[in-house]
Amino acid sequence: MKETLNKMLKIDRRWLFLLLTFAIIIPILKPIGIPSKSTSDAVKDIYDFIDKLPPGSTIILSLDYDPSTAPELHPQAAVVLKHAFKKNLKVIIMTFLAGSGGLIDELVRTIPTKYSKEYGRDYVLLPYMPNILAALTQMSSNIYAFYEKDIDGKPLREYEMMKNIQSYKDIACVVDITGTAILDYWVAYVGDKYKVPILGGVTAISQVGYGPYLQKKQLKGLIGGMKGAAEYERLISEVGKGTSGIDALNIAHILVIVFIIFSNIVLLILKFL
Amino acid sequence: MKIIKKYIPLAIVFIFGMITLASYYVPHRTSEEYLEWINRWENIVSAFALFLGMISLFYVHYKKIERKVDGWGYSLFVYIGFLIIMVAAMISHGDISKGGKVTCLGWTFNNIYNPLSATMFSVLAFFIISTAYRAFRIKSTSAFMLFLAGLILMLGNIPLGEIIWDKLFSWTHITIAEIKNWIINVPSTAGKRGIMIGIAIGAAVTSLKIIFGIERGYMGKD
Amino acid sequence: MEIILGAFVTSGLTLFIFSFLYKDNPFFKIAEHLYMGAGLAWYIQLTIYKVIIPNVWGPFRKAWENGDWFTIWMIVIPTVLGISLITQFIPRISWMSRYGFTFLMGYSAGLALPTGLSTDFMNQILGTIEPFASVLNLTTGQLLNSIILLIGTISVLFYFFFSVEHKGAIKKISNFGIYFLMIYFGASFGNTVMARFSLLYGRFDLLVRYSNAQYFYATNWIILGLVIYFIVEKFLIKKVIANNS
Repeated sequence: MKETLNKMLKIDRRWLFLLLTFAIIIPILKPIGIPSKSTSDAVKDIYDFIDKLPPGSTIILSLDYDPSTAPELHPQAAVVLKHAFKKNLKVIIMTFLAGSGGLIDELVRTIPTKYSKEYGRDYVLLPYMPNILAALTQMSSNIYAFYEKDIDGKPLREYEMMKNIQSYKDIACVVDITGTAILDYWVAYVGDKYKVPILGGVTAISQVGYGPYLQKKQLKGLIGGMKGAAEYERLISEVGKGTSGIDALNIAHILVIVFIIFSNIVLLILKFL
Repeated sequence: MKIIKKYIPLAIVFIFGMITLASYYVPHRTSEEYLEWINRWENIVSAFALFLGMISLFYVHYKKIERKVDGWGYSLFVYIGFLIIMVAAMISHGDISKGGKVTCLGWTFNNIYNPLSATMFSVLAFFIISTAYRAFRIKSTSAFMLFLAGLILMLGNIPLGEIIWDKLFSWTHITIAEIKNWIINVPSTAGKRGIMIGIAIGAAVTSLKIIFGIERGYMGKD
Repeated sequence: MEIILGAFVTSGLTLFIFSFLYKDNPFFKIAEHLYMGAGLAWYIQLTIYKVIIPNVWGPFRKAWENGDWFTIWMIVIPTVLGISLITQFIPRISWMSRYGFTFLMGYSAGLALPTGLSTDFMNQILGTIEPFASVLNLTTGQLLNSIILLIGTISVLFYFFFSVEHKGAIKKISNFGIYFLMIYFGASFGNTVMARFSLLYGRFDLLVRYSNAQYFYATNWIILGLVIYFIVEKFLIKKVIANNS
């Protein structure tokens, strides 16, 4: 008995890898289809904030994530953009991360047409800007000091939606979706300094660390990881990659919990044998 | 010589440190313009720091190829990978897409850089499962607290977890989502807040030491 | 054609890296080294096309044509500081790299100080004490949470305070702080599991997509190739061991 239990604890880890592979692939091939019932306070806050904005308000959507965090953050960006378009908000999309170009491209190729949104009238794309601090500070007085032209090189001021936009005073809020510390810059240099409402979307790993900012209302709301994206999708009644993704992760999570409990029970039994 | 090698660099760190520090608190237009310029300077200088990394990497792999150490052939692939992306960038002038069409650089980004980068990070998931089984040992109260918090978060993150909780603990009239929210908003926030304050104090002290030239490790040997 | 080639390249590189989980092999090593080179090249080309050309070369040319000496100096100085960093590799003049490094350190330190103190220090202390400023407006639950937050934050700070020996009452308080830290780490662990599994889901989703007929069963061919390689390698090793013995 003791030998068997010891063998079980020292099992070749490749069997564990194989189990995890099946735990994720099987729900992809055959979705379980369990809907998420709950919504966290932070996601509800960000949803309520955007939902209460009057139609025609302009928001900044800063998309600062690259392929390594795309599975979690891309669904968040998609659902926020969809919600903004549903509420007829004007969206200024920008990025301070070099690797996000292709991902933003994918987003604007599909979503605006679905909501009959027109470039220049309902949304604009700003080019990648490496000087994040200078840009964040300059936009407090004059957005055009840094963003003279849009991503296609056309003068930004000439677009219909930018006619009454000069600085943060004309912006209803900033939503930053990022897998880096760029959200901290928005909070420190824009939210705290110029009192602009900042909302965020982060990876699940970082989500727990933003608790202090949420409690102090330095962040008005936060979407955390794929679960956060799934919760937001449920709030706007649009199923997307967040919902399908979290559905596929059900068994994998249970597997981790079972493994931890099982191995500790086996250890406990071995202790008494 | 000591002035050029030691005192002028220390003066640079002091001047730029103090002016940048002051510019945060001065709401004047000049301060904002300074921040804009100094940020551009930092971007330019950091760009060259990247070339430093490039030279270092190429040198290490060149030496491997020169000495024909074990596995030297793989070092060639470092140069091949580098050339593929650089040539694509030169052809596309740094644009991922043009006029709605994906460029050469965009193709290499989507099919070479993207899969490599994303897969490298996702491999960690397998090691989490291996660690959970072979190394997660609950041998003390602290470890049990860690496990309990992790368990509640994991169950709260998945719809199946909500169903399991409702089946076992519906008599408590508290949902797993409420407990998860409470853990993130209260005790976890307290833990993180303590760490944040500690780090902020440490960062402030280190920054002052750097600005005043007390901390000089980054300058190398005299 | 590009799409099918892309599917094969994407599946191939993804599976080459995953093959490491079974056993170290040449395909993984190739993918690993390709990643080193490609990753570096990606950031270098971004630096050239998004920083150096628009912020250095372009403005320099324009300023030179207009005779704008202020802008020229504003570009030349950081460029010289940047080039000085590279002198690190030449031992005789490596001291020049101090100019570049001291600029970066001074700028970073000057930036970190006010934001760290304001956002992560003052505001966090304020956030802990603020609820008690309007105690009468709080519900019982909110008051309890605020008290737990206050006690937790203070006890964690006690744990990190090493200037005084941890004994007696201080030891008890700091041990209590450890529990709050463990809850934070446990919560982080729980979310890290979801984060990593989400990334893995993203990769598997792509592999499943590329196993379809429209992508010429790219994933399936690559998996077959890898399986054949590992089987052949196993037989070859057995043969070598048999020959040696």
